[in-house]
Amino acid sequence: MDKTAIKLVVSTTVVCIVAAAGLGMTYGVTKDRIAKMDREAEVAALRAVLPDAKRFSKVAAAEDLAAAKKAAGEVTFVSAYSASSSGGDPAGWGVRVASRGYGGPMQLVIGLDRDGKVTGVSIVAMNETPGLGTKVLTEKWFMRQFTKLPAGASDADLRKLDAISGATKSSRGVRHGVEAAVRVWRAAFGGGGGN
Amino acid sequence: MGAWRKTFMDGISLENPLTVLMIGLCATLAVTSKLEGSFFMSIAVIFVLVMSNVLVSAIRKFTPNEVRIPIFIVVIASFVTIVDLSMKAFVPGVYALLGIWIPLIVVNCIILGRAEAFAYHNTVWLSIADGLGMGIGYSVIMVMLSVVRELFGTGRIVFLGAQLLALPAWFKPPGILLSFPGAFILFGFVIAGSIALNRKLRARAKASGREIPPPPEPGCC
Repeated sequence: MDKTAIKLVVSTTVVCIVAAAGLGMTYGVTKDRIAKMDREAEVAALRAVLPDAKRFSKVAAAEDLAAAKKAAGEVTFVSAYSASSSGGDPAGWGVRVASRGYGGPMQLVIGLDRDGKVTGVSIVAMNETPGLGTKVLTEKWFMRQFTKLPAGASDADLRKLDAISGATKSSRGVRHGVEAAVRVWRAAFGGGGGN
Repeated sequence: MGAWRKTFMDGISLENPLTVLMIGLCATLAVTSKLEGSFFMSIAVIFVLVMSNVLVSAIRKFTPNEVRIPIFIVVIASFVTIVDLSMKAFVPGVYALLGIWIPLIVVNCIILGRAEAFAYHNTVWLSIADGLGMGIGYSVIMVMLSVVRELFGTGRIVFLGAQLLALPAWFKPPGILLSFPGAFILFGFVIAGSIALNRKLRARAKASGREIPPPPEPGCC
């Protein structure tokens, strides 16, 4: 190898090593905080959709999770929580799904009571167009529609709901997420509810 | 000090990255639908731009010409990842709003463009001026676009949850301002304004006996 080749290799390697060290340090400093923020956002979302519940425990039974995953269909099932009131009584379910919006996946947490009635929908993360797609959050009537549905609403019931003009795909993303959550409830937690 | 000040001011006016060099427009049109988003995007860009300019300039004597682009990219990508992780950890609300556009600063032409066109040939001190000037020039346009788009597109300006400004209720916001066509049209007016301003600057310089070189050719992306 002649001198220039060595110089090229050495300079690139040194820069990469220094960059990797810097990134490793930043990752180490921020890692725990990012995980904490994620957890807090999820708990806040669960609290918002299930106001009566005090404690949430993650559903871990493999068969329930498999049934939930199957029921969710095209929507990605992420996790489910069984909620209980301060006295320990079952208070419903929180289902987290990722459905497809306009700008990528929308991370939704849907609260359902023991009978499968939607108690609330909150958005943990989304990448919708600010001012257009984000109307699903700011137009309050849109989210309220879901809580007016009958218990165990079918996909057909949900299809009758209004979408926001200018945010059709984002509205559809939320709707598909709720549909999937109700299906998950029916497949995995229906009938009994709470534990 | 004169050269420092001139480099700094050029970034804001005569060589503004958005209205004169016309680079990095994609993210600009995408995130300026909300003031909050463009504000934090601007801070992120200023940070990455200044830091990468400083580092590229500091190691320019040891950077072989043949591998300069990969080295620039590694430097830029590192700073962007640092910003990305920090924002996720400390301002998750804003991060949720900007989403993919933060990691995409890596491929923003302004950063690589300045590393290649300026920092690689100039001292660290001047590169700071260039980074700050370009960054602030970028921010000014971003804030201008987003104030107009958010105010007239949604009827109010909300910054970190607080309402700064609101139009009377009878105003029906036209949705076009929030979508890309509206952004392009508005950006056209901003370019026109910037050209008029720069023409004035040139005329004034000429009157005082100095000649300002013509603007560089617009960029590629």
